[in-house]
Amino acid sequence: MTRRGVGLSAVGRPAAAAALALLTTVAGCARDPSAPVLTFSGSAVGLEADVLGRQFARFEANHPPLTVRLRVTPDAADERRQLYVHWLTARAADPDVLQLDVIWTPEFAAAGWILALDPFQPDITGYFPAAIAANRWQEHLYALPWFVDVGMLYWRTDLMPAAPTDFEALTRVAIGARSRGVRDGFVWQGARYEGLVTVFLEHLGGFGGAIIDEAGAVTVDSAAAVAALTFMRDAVWATGIAPATVLTWQEEQVRFAFQNGQAALMRNWPYAHRLLQDERASRVAGRFGVAPMPAAAGGSPTAALGGSHLAINAHSDRPEAAYALIEYLTAPEQMLERARVAGYLPARPSLYDTAELSEALGLDARRARAIVDRAVPRPVTPLYSQLSEILQVHLHRALTRQQEPRGALADAAEAMRGAIARAGLDARSAEGSEAP
Amino acid sequence: MNGNESRLVWLLTVPALTVIAGVATFPILWTFWESLHRHDLRMPWIGMPFVGLDNYLEVFADRRAWSALLHTVFFVATTVAIELVLGLALALGLHRVSRGRGLLRTAALLPWAVPTVVGALIWRFIFESPLGPVWFADASAAWLPIVVADVWKATPFVALLLLAGLQQIDPALDEAASLDGAGALRRLREITLPLLAPALAAAIVFRSLDAFRVFDVIYVLTGGGPGTATEPISLYAFSVLFRELRIGYGSALSMLVFAVSFVLALVWIKLLGAARAGDVGS
Repeated sequence: MTRRGVGLSAVGRPAAAAALALLTTVAGCARDPSAPVLTFSGSAVGLEADVLGRQFARFEANHPPLTVRLRVTPDAADERRQLYVHWLTARAADPDVLQLDVIWTPEFAAAGWILALDPFQPDITGYFPAAIAANRWQEHLYALPWFVDVGMLYWRTDLMPAAPTDFEALTRVAIGARSRGVRDGFVWQGARYEGLVTVFLEHLGGFGGAIIDEAGAVTVDSAAAVAALTFMRDAVWATGIAPATVLTWQEEQVRFAFQNGQAALMRNWPYAHRLLQDERASRVAGRFGVAPMPAAAGGSPTAALGGSHLAINAHSDRPEAAYALIEYLTAPEQMLERARVAGYLPARPSLYDTAELSEALGLDARRARAIVDRAVPRPVTPLYSQLSEILQVHLHRALTRQQEPRGALADAAEAMRGAIARAGLDARSAEGSEAP
Repeated sequence: MNGNESRLVWLLTVPALTVIAGVATFPILWTFWESLHRHDLRMPWIGMPFVGLDNYLEVFADRRAWSALLHTVFFVATTVAIELVLGLALALGLHRVSRGRGLLRTAALLPWAVPTVVGALIWRFIFESPLGPVWFADASAAWLPIVVADVWKATPFVALLLLAGLQQIDPALDEAASLDGAGALRRLREITLPLLAPALAAAIVFRSLDAFRVFDVIYVLTGGGPGTATEPISLYAFSVLFRELRIGYGSALSMLVFAVSFVLALVWIKLLGAARAGDVGS
């Protein structure tokens, strides 16, 4: 239509414009304006958009006259959260269904921006308990898990006989690989952003520490935490197994280094697995494996629990329809399809026993499940964003040698305790995280 | 002025005053009002209690706020000084060129026309080159890309302002001094620079006020890092307001930015007036 319009003479142009106007009117009428529309917001790039579009179409076919419309939001988590906050504080009824990062649920729930799902009586028995726990706030459930993310250790099968299980072995094989000409030993997300907190959490668990203990007290200045952060700093500046550039890297830069064969070991999320297997783009296809992160004596292999959850806007005009969509998208078939097309790990443990999932993911699903089972959620509190920001700054100061790990963590702990005390939330957050 | 006339004057200024009230006074007063309250979007249940100057007391005790203010002052001093020197050199050069003047001026102004975010992204790409040192993981080295990107962008603006000033100067003065045997450096010091004072003052005022509010170039290049080593005050206020959602405290920080730029503007305007007066006096 437009292509022909361009070629028309000056005389023909008004006619073309009129035809175009008519066409748009007709197209506009094709959709009944009174038909109920559900809006869904989340990430939708590439393969994810395809699979989501297909699932929406099937849902619409089962739920006439509903239409589902996608509201694309930025892929960067921080920016998406900001956009959501703007919409939700303005009490917008749109979008009805929100894709939430696992760490946002308590904040959004406490602020009253999303609906408690208890009235819909969701069946929560089929999900990973840790994922359900992350969605609880003051004994109510506010979101359903859509997919889970866990930090994993990617290792090169051609450079080492087995994945290192403790930090000394990891340092040793990384140094060994470097001496044989591999540029980087161990690459991870070290930029000052949320990803750094997850990497730290995994080292921390490996050394036997926690950011906040079970009683709700900040313990990020413990001896285990100092040991974990010291190991990370020394990896960059003493043993040299991690290049200094990791301190500016997020997921993708880390993946590129590993994918180009420039790193012996990598910490990353499951999404990288599929891309690394692609022989056209990856130089390590068929030459890598995944394993749990290493642990020291007194700690245990730890994966940070990430992932996305689906929640209902508290001001939605159609909460029932929104819940039906969430129920549909979190059903086993849809999770499997998502795993097959986009490589995301399902949030339902029973799927990991099926051969179908192993085939869909291209990796042994039982091994993936072993990592998910040990995944540790980040602190479940409405203050999480603020606590994380404090932690990011102090971790990064220590990693860039502006401060010693002990001092940086002591300052971080003090600032986090201050933020919790000022918010008057300590009792509440302890109660929230202990809820079954 | 009689009563009628003064009423007419007021009537005619009402539209302008309304616009200023709407886009400047009202937001500032509202921000001030917010800064006197504990307003936290994450905790709607606490409401918006009046807390007096609590937020300001917190600012005084907040080390991150003070170091952010220091970073900002450092950024203003460094970039404005370099931009003035380079801008002056560029202006003197452009002033001497006689052929292809229009084309050259347009070319020199190009960096100013590139959106800051785009320019900063290009500089980040350059400084992230795997061949060079790691600029962004060092608390001092991370300033270099920031200063370079800002100088690259703002120097043409300074040069253009100074060029306009240079063209106001009567060339006869320079010729006369030249005939009297004054060298190029002496003519620059004794004739060009004093007569250029108003233009220089204007450039300093515009650039330092602009640099004090620096946000985008640092947001893109370092995000304030490593740690918070390059974080300016406006970026800190942004992160309190939009990431932590603490509207009350963030407003107090914004008022601090406003107060400092306001004082800075007053001082500069005074200086600018003095420069003008000196100009008229000679």
